[in-house]
Amino acid sequence: MNNTRGQFDLAAVREKLAGKSGRAYWRSLEEVAETPEFQAWVDDEFPNRNSLMQVDRRSLLKYMGASMMLAGLAGCRSLRLPPAKLVPYVNRPEEMVSGEKLYFATGYTLQGITDGIIVESNYGRPTKIEGNPKHPFSGGSSTSLMQASILDLYDPDRSKTPAKDNVPNDWVAFLGEARAWVADAAKKGGQGLAVLVPTVGSPSVMAELETIKRKYPNMVIASWEPAHRDRVYKGAAQSFGKPLETVYNLAQAKVVLSIASDFMSAGPGSLKYAREWAQSRNVDGDPAGMSRLYSVESTPTTTGAIADHRLALGAMGVRGFIQALAARIGVPAANASQVAGDAAVWLEAVAQDLEANNGASVVIPGEDLDADSISLCHSINQTLGANGKLVNHHSPVTWMAGGQEESLERLLASDISTLFILGGNPVFNAPASRKFGEFLKKAKHSVHLSPYLDETSRSSQWHLPESHALESWGDGQALDGTTTIIQPLIDPLYDTKSMLETLREVFGDGGDPGDNLKASWAKNGLSDKAWRSALNDGVVPNSKNPAAAVVAGMPGAQSPQDLGDGELEILFRADPTIFDGRFANNGWLQELPKPLTTMTWDNTVQVSPKLAEKLGIVSGDLVKVTTHVGDVTGGAWVLPGQAENTITIHYGYGQDWGDSLIAAGTGFNAYKIWNGSPVMMGSIAKSDGKIALASTQMHHYLEGRDIVREMELDALLHPHEGEHAEGEHHRDISMYPDPDKEFPYDGPKWGMTIDLNVCIGCHACVTACQAENNIAVVGKDQVLKGREMHWIRVDRYYGTKGIGEVSGKVKPTRADLDNPTTHLMPVTCMHCEAAPCEPVCPVAATVHSKEGLNQMVYNRCVGTRYCSNNCPYKVRRFNFLNYNDRKFSDFKIDGHNSSRDLRVRLMVNNPEVTVRGRGVMEKCTYCVQRINAARIHAKNAAAKGQREKPDPMDGEIVTACQQACPTGAIAFGNIADESSRISRLKKMPRNYSLLEELNTHNRTTYLTKLRNPNKEVEPA
Amino acid sequence: MPQLFNAATNSYARGSLMAFASLPVLAILVGMTLSRHSPNTRQNIPLEQPVPFSHKHHTIELGIDCRYCHTSVETAADAGMPSTETCMSCHQHIWTNSPLLDPVRQSYAENKPIVWTQLNKVPEFVYFNHSVHINKGVSCNQCHGAIQDMQIAYKSRTLFMSWCLECHREPEKYMYADPANKELSPREQVFNLYVKYQKDASRHSLSGMEMNLIKGAEQHALSTKEGRELVKARGIKKEQLTDCWICHR
Repeated sequence: MNNTRGQFDLAAVREKLAGKSGRAYWRSLEEVAETPEFQAWVDDEFPNRNSLMQVDRRSLLKYMGASMMLAGLAGCRSLRLPPAKLVPYVNRPEEMVSGEKLYFATGYTLQGITDGIIVESNYGRPTKIEGNPKHPFSGGSSTSLMQASILDLYDPDRSKTPAKDNVPNDWVAFLGEARAWVADAAKKGGQGLAVLVPTVGSPSVMAELETIKRKYPNMVIASWEPAHRDRVYKGAAQSFGKPLETVYNLAQAKVVLSIASDFMSAGPGSLKYAREWAQSRNVDGDPAGMSRLYSVESTPTTTGAIADHRLALGAMGVRGFIQALAARIGVPAANASQVAGDAAVWLEAVAQDLEANNGASVVIPGEDLDADSISLCHSINQTLGANGKLVNHHSPVTWMAGGQEESLERLLASDISTLFILGGNPVFNAPASRKFGEFLKKAKHSVHLSPYLDETSRSSQWHLPESHALESWGDGQALDGTTTIIQPLIDPLYDTKSMLETLREVFGDGGDPGDNLKASWAKNGLSDKAWRSALNDGVVPNSKNPAAAVVAGMPGAQSPQDLGDGELEILFRADPTIFDGRFANNGWLQELPKPLTTMTWDNTVQVSPKLAEKLGIVSGDLVKVTTHVGDVTGGAWVLPGQAENTITIHYGYGQDWGDSLIAAGTGFNAYKIWNGSPVMMGSIAKSDGKIALASTQMHHYLEGRDIVREMELDALLHPHEGEHAEGEHHRDISMYPDPDKEFPYDGPKWGMTIDLNVCIGCHACVTACQAENNIAVVGKDQVLKGREMHWIRVDRYYGTKGIGEVSGKVKPTRADLDNPTTHLMPVTCMHCEAAPCEPVCPVAATVHSKEGLNQMVYNRCVGTRYCSNNCPYKVRRFNFLNYNDRKFSDFKIDGHNSSRDLRVRLMVNNPEVTVRGRGVMEKCTYCVQRINAARIHAKNAAAKGQREKPDPMDGEIVTACQQACPTGAIAFGNIADESSRISRLKKMPRNYSLLEELNTHNRTTYLTKLRNPNKEVEPA
Repeated sequence: MPQLFNAATNSYARGSLMAFASLPVLAILVGMTLSRHSPNTRQNIPLEQPVPFSHKHHTIELGIDCRYCHTSVETAADAGMPSTETCMSCHQHIWTNSPLLDPVRQSYAENKPIVWTQLNKVPEFVYFNHSVHINKGVSCNQCHGAIQDMQIAYKSRTLFMSWCLECHREPEKYMYADPANKELSPREQVFNLYVKYQKDASRHSLSGMEMNLIKGAEQHALSTKEGRELVKARGIKKEQLTDCWICHR
């Protein structure tokens, strides 16, 4: 869309939206503006390609002749393939069965917080990460980042050997030098030595650091990373006198107010909160008990998108809102500020709702708020009676909780001769105002442990390659202290060491990392048996920290924030996909559409429609953002729902460490204008030029048909005559053969439901599908052409406020460009019983199975793409190029040549799924490999007399997307079985089929989104 | 002046034109025929192996069960190749000096696997599962021929898709159950036949049909009526067997 983005008038968009009556949903501003470019995009199934008409007749004939010849040659790949080899073990490990997968429990750490994961291993090669259902905190679901971290293990760009002054060297030489430096400094108690680590939550690393601190009292130990959580701890310290972790229990919540918080998709605990919030929506059981979610925020988040009511306020506005709310609820706040206009009505209604549900209501402050505001929220929660029930406090699980910012300052102010940077990439991601690069140059000896030869490594004397978490021993804790032992799935692929190993080698006695870890846990009372069971389960028993019984003290005076000069607020946030930049070289995450902007491969300057109007810009125009630290130029993105005078920038992009395969050339570096605070003041100006932004928001467009459905809770509870048309099932006459007659079959019939009521748009399903089904990364140039390969996508629609028709009465709807309602909808193959793709295939490459699966047979496919053209849901993906063999250098628009061995990335592939080549159509298979595995298991069990029917039982088949979903929005099962969960869901009145009027009889159906609005906020 | 070309030349000209025109067709036909025959498919050709392992000696002459070496054949997709350790469990006691077993001892001593040449390979796009076939009573010999009588193993079937489909379309033609031991489960039927064959020195107790099966003849095992009953009794969903995604995904 974006490289064809035309100029249009935002005022006209506003006018057109105002003119819409009834329910209306739209995907982008261009769609509403009906620009000619937009129309062209929609009209063409495969846009942005060269038309055949641009080729003259002679060339066309030439190409045709050549293609025919080559087509013949393609058949003669090799008449006689060399015989394959069978290589059995010498000593077969006991648990290893040829061709069978093994699963190991371990942990995944982000921001120092560790959640439980299960890793699938094929022949000793880790291939997929899933959540660990035995982990009491994170549960069995996973995030995109968690899932995609496995791809980093097989990154061809990984550093393979230590380097001194950027020349390859080895660990022995390094350790010889480093131990000499340490021995030298030890004479002065470690004077001149310094260690900088990213956020640490591992008990073993913390113990090691404590030991080192005791041994070298004058040594400086600092801990810092861009997305540190100092403010959370400081806020708790203000309220309770000591830094604490705050954990919310939302399962029983009735009213939740999220303040500038994306608690369901970002930050530690998001998996737990999403799971529990979904429980509180409670529509599977008693709909009347459904909770209500309010969100007030400056920049749109997925949490705001699914909220029943959302208020957009600037960062200062949010601060004022919290103070006003505290005053309204009865917290003695020092300087209660006034909230005016709509926000005041909103606040009053929310406050009443919160108070009315005392004991079942909770306020969740965002982790990027200032400590004062977070502390005030603790007081609010106490007044609401949430403390001890909906909110628990535990002792902090990270090192230097609340003191990371100060520790960095201390380090920068010290006179350091030897600096060990163990992880992170501070030269790139320390705020520019700190001038970390200059500080590093002053150190005589500098060492950097990192998976890549990145900016910091290149400016350090020594670079040390870091092991991936799946290659190393370690431990970590979840937010509530639940401890997981991190065990390696594979020996290090290269000559790498983990942070813990490096610490022990340099400052301690070294030794085998696994033995060391076991010994240290044995000292903590973990017997040999308990150690084994902890490894097996992925959880150390009884390791949860007890909830601290604390009472929030009087909130102190709200100190005014010094944000610098400028007319605009600039919010700095970790990127939703590549986080602080650590995943910048991860293709899955680069190509994962960011939840609300649907942006891939780039970060943007997110501006509100009003600000864009004022500046005269549209999405894709280059803008210059200036703060007191510096200025940076990036592509603008006009984001409905953004607070008017607030712009949002995600950091992590703009890495420049040479010829990285994926990271180089993507986005702009926001750290360059940052001072470390989540909010700064600054200014924005239109710059010359445009940038092609690979946003997927208009890809696979369904032409504005009736796609998303929502209804108010009231309408579900008190249905009126004729209102349940949505749940009805038509069996009208059709030009397609009746599937029931065509395929009489008495076995299982697979089906899926996706509950829009609890889908939070986190995209975990997309990454899970990509990992499970060997889905290729195509690169920015291909995404611009609409060729991304994801089998499941999450469509984002903006909608009008109000529902149009409630209880038989027509209610006015309000189209609002500045704060529209947002709807998220995962779309994947519907597995139509009467599938339009099937009759148009000339070679029967897509046909029906007896179990109702719409099968895609890659070997038959000749690539006519008729099926995709005839698919009303736009869920088929075509391999225009040989994406799996594609050189990484082709991935970016400004490609470069690379000579590295790329074969290592093939190791991530799932051996149960075919890797598709060029010219083949592909699409969601309902994870047929998992169905087949379950079916064969059932057949074998039945043949051995272990079960009665040779069919998988309900719940035995879990598709990859379903497994990953933190809210349980996706259900899968046998619809022929009346007692199955899926049958029950499909009988619900909320069940509807996408474009049901087409009579395709979809096996995938949706459950209507429910809204639980407060009449006080939106008067009828 | 006599005519340069006699009357027959017309026929030669026509003939050579026709021959020329049919050349590509012929070439394709020849190519197709060749590609389907044993020099290309390696059917019935024993391939060189690092150790001249005799299935006949170990199974029929010594009476070792298939599953002693192919341990996961009833439980997993792969039948499983024996580790060197499995060979050495016997061969550390017997034939300890045989030069033929040098590679085995060497492998064990050096901890380096024996690299065998694979005989039966389905394309990467085919996801074959041994366990479900065994559990439905498909004999090893249906696909591997008279493997128990082979001195040096060879591939007995083409493993063409059309060959797979013969059974997937009409499984009733390939079902077998010992009439004397009908109570055995389909899986036990498979291995029972070898026990019977191995015990029976005169080979007279095996019926003609059983002999056909064990000798790897590519023909029907039972009458189709009995076969249909077995298909039903064993819960084989015949209509599902030709779904593409049963084997391809």
